[in-house]
Amino acid sequence: MNIVVGFKIVPDDQMIKIVGDKLVTDAPLKVSTYDKNAIEEAVRLKEKFGGKVVGITVGNNDRKSIREALAMGVDEVISVLVKNPDVYVTAMAIVENVKPLNPDILLFSEMSTDSGTSALPAYVAELLGLPYVSNVRSLKIEGNKIIADRGMVSYIETVETTLPAVISVGGEINTPRIPSVKQIMESAKKPVKEVKFEAQPKVVIRDIKPLIVNRKKIVIEESDIDKAVDKLLEYLKADGVL
Amino acid sequence: MGCFKTKIVIFSENPAYLRMAAAIGQSIGGEIIGISAIPDVKFVNKLYLIDKMDEDGIVDLITSLSPDLVITGSVRKDRAIAARVAGRLKLPIVPDIVSLKLDGNKAIANRVAYSGMGLVTIEAELPLVVTVVGTQLQPKELEPSMEKVQLKEGRIKVVSKKSTASGANLATAQIVVGVGRGIGSKENVKYAEQLAEALGGVVGGSRPVAAELGWVPEDRQIGLSGLRIRPKLYIALGISGQPQHIAGIRDSKVIVAVNTDKNAPILENADYLVVADAVSFCKAMLKKLGKQ
Ligand SMILES: Cc1cc2nc3c(=O)[nH]c(=O)nc-3n(C[C@H](O)[C@H](O)[C@H](O)COP(=O)(O)OP(=O)(O)OC[C@H]3O[C@@H](n4cnc5c(N)ncnc54)[C@H](O)[C@@H]3O)c2cc1C
Repeated sequence: MNIVVGFKIVPDDQMIKIVGDKLVTDAPLKVSTYDKNAIEEAVRLKEKFGGKVVGITVGNNDRKSIREALAMGVDEVISVLVKNPDVYVTAMAIVENVKPLNPDILLFSEMSTDSGTSALPAYVAELLGLPYVSNVRSLKIEGNKIIADRGMVSYIETVETTLPAVISVGGEINTPRIPSVKQIMESAKKPVKEVKFEAQPKVVIRDIKPLIVNRKKIVIEESDIDKAVDKLLEYLKADGVL
Repeated sequence: MGCFKTKIVIFSENPAYLRMAAAIGQSIGGEIIGISAIPDVKFVNKLYLIDKMDEDGIVDLITSLSPDLVITGSVRKDRAIAARVAGRLKLPIVPDIVSLKLDGNKAIANRVAYSGMGLVTIEAELPLVVTVVGTQLQPKELEPSMEKVQLKEGRIKVVSKKSTASGANLATAQIVVGVGRGIGSKENVKYAEQLAEALGGVVGGSRPVAAELGWVPEDRQIGLSGLRIRPKLYIALGISGQPQHIAGIRDSKVIVAVNTDKNAPILENADYLVVADAVSFCKAMLKKLGKQ
């Protein structure tokens, strides 16, 4: 099976800080949270059906994050350098590079932690003319057939479609493996192909501001829980919410 | 576009979001074309009444209308459809907008990004696809013409659909008790339920608790990818306070966190952090409230 998995290298969302009226996003880079679930699912498909997993990442080419994907079991990575990637540019870059691979399945996660558009997998699916199943929380493949459970928050939907297809997954689908030291060592030998892509983006970012709500941040720490609760109740009564 | 009217197509699987999309569309001005499976949609100029929620069929219908602007809600089905329409027509897409203005052919939109931590101002040209967050705006009533449409059977076959609805209305609740992984077990959720009941509130949960572990019903998931709530009091029991959870509780009046870790990130976004075990806290609160 020809498996493609897209992953995004993003600033660690737990390290992004608000300083004054600025959102400081130059935090250490990592593989976006649910993209690890997509990688895990891709590697599991390879383990079950054989074949190869090609990872593709557009934007940052942080070596450490790429190594992490390789250590998890991705066979090779195409790292695409672009100038101002929006959804359109990223999707075009992916399609240009993966089309020659003739993928049977393309896996992505349902949302990245930075731009968080949820739009990329669907956009890629349309450019390739393939069926798209979003928000997959469990995936079965039998022959040519895909059976997927979609978590839609207010309902769960079971759908069927056929390969080739594009799938997006959420954190519920699996637990991403933690690579062993040996796998991390071996990942250094796996191929990483760096390519460039150029296209005019369709959206332009004018400004990024933090969303701030000022909270009181009062810590109530008592060895006696009853005392702590008394204090809290006093505060809440004073605030007029109880 | 010159003297032509802007052709705005709105869609949402969810009636509240459909109204919101219509309200934003009306504020822009133009011909509003609605797509819905529900006949009594009164806030559009033209309604295409579809016979089924087939994603392929809906994407075909929207793209066939050659819209200048597509506005959808932001529930998961809406997002998938909006992005597919954008992809098929190679249009710019701006999801999760909180505001939208047009200046001729140019659109300026504000959207949330960085897991709800940032507000980003984005510029793009029409034709354009956007999805809206929030359901607070009300559209005005119009007298739509209606056309029934039979969508063709798409490539994605729905085998079954199971509701996760648990009857609680978190969106309008005044008091919400949220449980996170720190509550420890499904068993322990009963203490949160007792506390919520004593306070006249309802129980919700973080994503892992609602979607992965099933400790609370899935439709009670609070956060970026679940519900955005605005109670006067939110009590977070054993929730670490990752940005994706905070995105859902930002509009609460008062936030109380209960966490064994006094350095838990939720402190940044809490009015009070009680350093304690979640279950012991519930028991003590119940005792004080005279319920046990
Ligand atoms: C794209 C994306 C979308 C997401 N959308 C959402 C969303 O909509 N909603 C959401 O909630 N999350 C969402 N998440 C997940 C989010 O990043 C966090 O993983 C999640 O909110 C953590 O849940 P938690 O706080 O329950 O669990 P944990 O992070 O495991 O935190 C548990 C907390 O409990 C505390 N604790 C432990 N024991 C006790 C005890 N005995 N008593 C009291 N406290 C205790 C710990 O100190 C810790 O702070 C999303 C993630 C991504 C990547």
